[in-house]
Amino acid sequence: MRYLSLVFIFLLFLQAEEEYQLGKGIQVGSLPFYVGGYFSLDYKHTDDIDRYRVDDVAIIGYGNYEKFSYMAEFEFKELYVKTEQNGLKTSTNNNNLYTERLYLDYNFNENYMFRVGKYNSPIGFWNLLPVNVLRETTSNPMSVNILFPKFTTGLNSSYISYGEGELKVDVMLQHNNDIDFEYNNYKINEHYGFGVSYEKNDYAVKLNGGYFHNLDKNAVEDNLYYLLLSARYESSKYQILSEIGSQKSKSRYTTEYAGYIQGLYRFSQQHIGVIRVESYDDNVKAIDDDMLIIGYTYRPLYPIAIKSEYQFHSQSDQNQFLFSFSVLF
Amino acid sequence: MKTVSIIFLSTIMLSTLSFGEEYVVISNSKMKDLSTAQIKAVFLKKIALIDNLNAVPVNLSALDSIREKFENRLVEMDFERLKSYWTKEHYLGKRPPITMQSQESVIAFVKKVEGAIGYINAKNLDDSVKVLYRWSE
Repeated sequence: MRYLSLVFIFLLFLQAEEEYQLGKGIQVGSLPFYVGGYFSLDYKHTDDIDRYRVDDVAIIGYGNYEKFSYMAEFEFKELYVKTEQNGLKTSTNNNNLYTERLYLDYNFNENYMFRVGKYNSPIGFWNLLPVNVLRETTSNPMSVNILFPKFTTGLNSSYISYGEGELKVDVMLQHNNDIDFEYNNYKINEHYGFGVSYEKNDYAVKLNGGYFHNLDKNAVEDNLYYLLLSARYESSKYQILSEIGSQKSKSRYTTEYAGYIQGLYRFSQQHIGVIRVESYDDNVKAIDDDMLIIGYTYRPLYPIAIKSEYQFHSQSDQNQFLFSFSVLF
Repeated sequence: MKTVSIIFLSTIMLSTLSFGEEYVVISNSKMKDLSTAQIKAVFLKKIALIDNLNAVPVNLSALDSIREKFENRLVEMDFERLKSYWTKEHYLGKRPPITMQSQESVIAFVKKVEGAIGYINAKNLDDSVKVLYRWSE
């Protein structure tokens, strides 16, 4: 049934009135409905592992009508993975179609917006654009993976005001199970969070904090609190992005700190160099690591990214090379 | 010497008058006054509603020099940066502003659609639209 739905959507594609442009999706007929998607292929090499992966294949649909807008995103995650370790070859297929985002927005007025459904938690800057093709490294910083739930299923209310700059306040509320438990970094049934950001000219700062209830049976701590401070400078040539945060339970710091600073330089619109320094101390898994990541991205067109990066870890057996090819369509 | 100075100053003043083109951001007459930050937010689709009106930003075509001037001055992004911005916004469920091929089309659209906002050369301005912002270069 799911596959039939996908075929149906692609058939509607053919009926589109608008000329197609890569990376912009397409309108279905004259309906308030746009369809697009993305995919990524990647390769990872460490001292003893080579991994080839069809990581993401996703379709997105969205639109707006009067004061309402909506978003739906369904994704095959790790559709095909082939691993070679110490001469042993294994491959896996995962044909499950996950619900990555599914929400409805209502704009009360120019200042207030109300959202219900499953959405990317508006925490920090990186987590707002978490897909391979839209970021400048194949890998994600550890802070994005370990400090807070990447997705929230529930309510989100935001207030935005324009004076000298742009002030935005977000409130996230979840008091129910996730729409798709398996597609989140934490299995949660509660999440209460806030975010305050201020943006002026090329600068932006943001503070997030919150609480969530972790349902993972193996979790040592289930009531977790997080705090994240983020800053960004962006111009046509440069971007500097930094996020640092902490996570604790009622009794101790589960992650004392996790953070990164990333610098990006656009040699041209097609050629981009990246350098990132990361550090974290995870008390739950008893891992701490420092990383230096050097990467290069080639974008023949903006919606196509060919990326390579090398990661130097303080635990040298973790050093790795990553390569990916990703497209937004 | 005095005559030479007068001629020199007059030449400078005339050249300023000749080459200083004036442009305006226009809206339907029902639109309230907007700050430059709000105009920028409308063209980046960060604001969807203004006083219960659906905000409808209207661009001139990609190669139009007035569009380039408007985007550099008010949106504060160049063409390439905006291309990457709208690719990211596609993932977030937002579309770029609609495009009109001529200033006459922009004026006609703005007159007809209550939440519409566009920009034109000031010499094409008429009394049927409201001026939100004016600049010259």
